Amino acid sequence: METTSRPNWWTRVGDWFDERLNVRGPLEVFLRKPVPKHAIRWYFCLGGITFSLFLIQGVTGILLSLYYKPTPEQAYDSILFIMNNVRFGWLIRSIHSWSASLMIATCVAHMLRVYITGSYKKPRELNWVAGVFLLLLTLAFGFTGYLLPWDQKALWGSTVGSEILGVVPLIGEYLLGLLRGAAEISALTLTRFYGIHMLALPVLAFIFLAIHFVIIRRQGISGPL
Amino acid sequence: MSEAEYKRPEPYQHPEYPEEDTIPFFPNYIILEVITSYIVLALLVVLASLLPTGLEEQADPFSTPAHIKPEWYFLWIYQFIKVPPLLIGPGLLAELAGILIPAIGIVLLIILPFLDRKPQRHPRNRKLAMVITGLILAGFVALSIWGWYS
Repeated sequence: METTSRPNWWTRVGDWFDERLNVRGPLEVFLRKPVPKHAIRWYFCLGGITFSLFLIQGVTGILLSLYYKPTPEQAYDSILFIMNNVRFGWLIRSIHSWSASLMIATCVAHMLRVYITGSYKKPRELNWVAGVFLLLLTLAFGFTGYLLPWDQKALWGSTVGSEILGVVPLIGEYLLGLLRGAAEISALTLTRFYGIHMLALPVLAFIFLAIHFVIIRRQGISGPL
Repeated sequence: MSEAEYKRPEPYQHPEYPEEDTIPFFPNYIILEVITSYIVLALLVVLASLLPTGLEEQADPFSTPAHIKPEWYFLWIYQFIKVPPLLIGPGLLAELAGILIPAIGIVLLIILPFLDRKPQRHPRNRKLAMVITGLILAGFVALSIWGWYS
């Protein structure tokens, strides 16, 4: 079939990429994946909302890291600097801290929805397991992030919080030392929590999110009740 | 293009909803995710603007504050570890109970789908499970409130 009119510019851009990557077909299958109509409910969006908040945490966390200094001498002053001198620094920090709380709430709400609709049952057991690990990672983000402002609340909250580990039979002392890096919460603990909060947990979260999303794609959303 | 041409698969019907109407993930479904996310983001900006996160005095290892409370989402465990000493008296056993019971709880949560293997999904057909879950949730809320006011 001969056509004389030139296709739209976006069609031509698509053609340019498709000529080189042959990607249009798979991409369309990916984007056009059919979603059953029973899933068009707000409470089926709780997982997506949690992921949106995770992205907000990534963006605001990177912005905070541009000014934050993870040493006992400088941490507190760098937070004061963010709040008082950096334009919208107070807002970015507040969003980061509120988003952390909301993320836990939406994560739990998402789990409750999955529990009540029985969506964790066969064949979706593995995605439930990945989801619980994501909840634990979210809690670990909250726990490690709490120390970073290095104010009284941060130091003593983390002291009391980490003491719980010391009670574990046999290996409690060892675990406590591993977590704190020293007998007391100190400079070593701060850099440790910073590294865990900024590198270890994000990498783990991305891995488990990828598993979570690949599985939901592979299996489709659970059927109607 | 002929050989490498992508073959579109037959329209796929999920075995769990072979009859049900579907909509495409993009853009029809994702727009709902975007809208609900933006509602929460709006709430987030309002909260962060009206109740900005504060900062206490700089950390001082030599001055323990009177009231140390964790974030709201750790209040339940903060309070829970105080319960066994109240029931069986302080000691190693009480400390162990305080940490082992939540640890076992987390393990049970992870392996829940392998413990609960009945195929019934509707909450109406899982009354016992719903009652137990409701009680556990009420326990979490009660411990958190107790921890908040303790």
